[in-house]
Amino acid sequence: MQRIPMTERPNLAGIAAEHDLEYIAGKGITGWDESAYYQFTMRQIEEDIEGPAEEIEDLCFQVVDRAVNNEEVLRRLGIAEPFWDYIAESWRNGEKNLYGRMDLSYQGKGPVKLLEYNADTPTALYESAVFQWEWLEHATELKLIPQGCDQLNDVHESIVQTFPQLNIETLSHFACNQVFEDDKGTLEYLEECAREAGLETCFLAMEDIGVDDQGRFTDLDDRVITTLVKLYPWEWIMAEDFGRHVPASGVQFIEPPWKAILSNKGLMPLLWGMFEGHPNLLPAFFEDDPAAAAFADTGSYVRKPMLSRQGANIEIVHEGKTLCHSDGPYANDVHILQGFQPLPEFDGGYPLLGCWLVASKAVGLCVREDRTLVTGKGARFVPHVILD
Amino acid sequence: MKSWSSVPVVLMMSVSLVALTACEEPKVGASIYESLDQCKRDTFSTPDQCEGSFKEARNQHATVAPKYSSEADCQADFGAGKCETAPYKTSNGGSVFMPLMMGYMMGSMIGGRRSMMSQPLYRSAKSPNSFRTAENRNVGAKTGRTNVAKSATSRPTFKSATRSRGGFGSSSRRFGSSAT
Repeated sequence: MQRIPMTERPNLAGIAAEHDLEYIAGKGITGWDESAYYQFTMRQIEEDIEGPAEEIEDLCFQVVDRAVNNEEVLRRLGIAEPFWDYIAESWRNGEKNLYGRMDLSYQGKGPVKLLEYNADTPTALYESAVFQWEWLEHATELKLIPQGCDQLNDVHESIVQTFPQLNIETLSHFACNQVFEDDKGTLEYLEECAREAGLETCFLAMEDIGVDDQGRFTDLDDRVITTLVKLYPWEWIMAEDFGRHVPASGVQFIEPPWKAILSNKGLMPLLWGMFEGHPNLLPAFFEDDPAAAAFADTGSYVRKPMLSRQGANIEIVHEGKTLCHSDGPYANDVHILQGFQPLPEFDGGYPLLGCWLVASKAVGLCVREDRTLVTGKGARFVPHVILD
Repeated sequence: MKSWSSVPVVLMMSVSLVALTACEEPKVGASIYESLDQCKRDTFSTPDQCEGSFKEARNQHATVAPKYSSEADCQADFGAGKCETAPYKTSNGGSVFMPLMMGYMMGSMIGGRRSMMSQPLYRSAKSPNSFRTAENRNVGAKTGRTNVAKSATSRPTFKSATRSRGGFGSSSRRFGSSAT
């Protein structure tokens, strides 16, 4: 794993416009940085990233399997009781999952460590699947990178191939809060994939969803929603006013309800509890667990809210000192403590690997770099290549 | 509850789009009939096919037809005397109204298999000569064998009467983006 400086492609402003990405003169494409790329060997990709990610997915499924049979676990995750059976049923019925992104800390050698699993509403999908791939093709053509570079990137094909297997029979609705570019962009891309797969789709804003007298959800044309691909977290859906209609709504949700167990950072202590010592896991504890106090005494840990997003409210303590403390709206949430595995530093940046899973197969990689140890809203996407 | 009277604004916009893309929109063969009898008189279809298709369309009618909580709203969109009571009730026990089924569309026979499901058709007050699907797609005025836009033949969705909206979205207004 190396970070290699490179010359940006000419006409980035035009390229950004073609892809509907924001370009600011002097700053470049928002959230994207091609002044360098990361290079991995095939062995690193296959043995250190792909293989472990799929193994972690398997461990995660064992956690779900346990959680749905254990009210205490569901309670610990902060999932409200009216949803326990609903989530359990979705798992037992084998409701299919589409995608997720595991955030991994990797030093270029040794085992990757799972920091968290964005299993419900991962973004940066378009950048990973399309924009990064196009960069590889352009950069190869322009000889800005060596010939023969490959990329871990079957994301697009995998999503298009997975949609027809989700048993969607009629019109499927795609919903998010369209005010947010990340959310809208990711969802529009998913919708495009669904259409390529031959599905009929319709976009609507989460706040425009209606409910009828039988508790079914409707769109703005009063059509009953039967499949909802949502870029909106399960914990919000469950907490909001219409959440009470969800279990009896008859809607097929993508991602399915059982993903609520995996997108919660409470997953980390649950994984550690079941698979303590696994090379790809860091020690982790619920903060109110007596074991957490002993763990905190070691003086090195990361404290995270169970349900924060975009690196909010994360505190890193190392050798008894707070290294980093990000703000955010989740300070009052229940927290977990997790072992501190610092991201490696390359030229002042801290790369966090995101491994994309589509239908539980590791099919893509993204590298996001921030200037701090916590990867937050300021992170920039840096493309990668595989070259031996 | 959405009414079709609000539709023409949207339609006017989409009409120009259709005009631009009409030559590219793929067409498929279909048969349109006002009634079961009309179908039976047509030599293209056997009485059995007519019966089966009519029944299939009739069975969908109550679920796929647009719904109204006021009869006046329904009539404004579909014309006086062109609405009936739907087999549903509102939460406070009120009646739900829907347009009368004015015809049906069946797929043509291709190699012994029908190319699509049958579906009910309606006529709006604004353009009473044309048939429309439950998805408000115009399939023309012609009965018997005809060609319709392929997009008009997709399976109609279940229409309901929306009681309220806005029950989702509050967390996002408070916390921001859903991105992780």
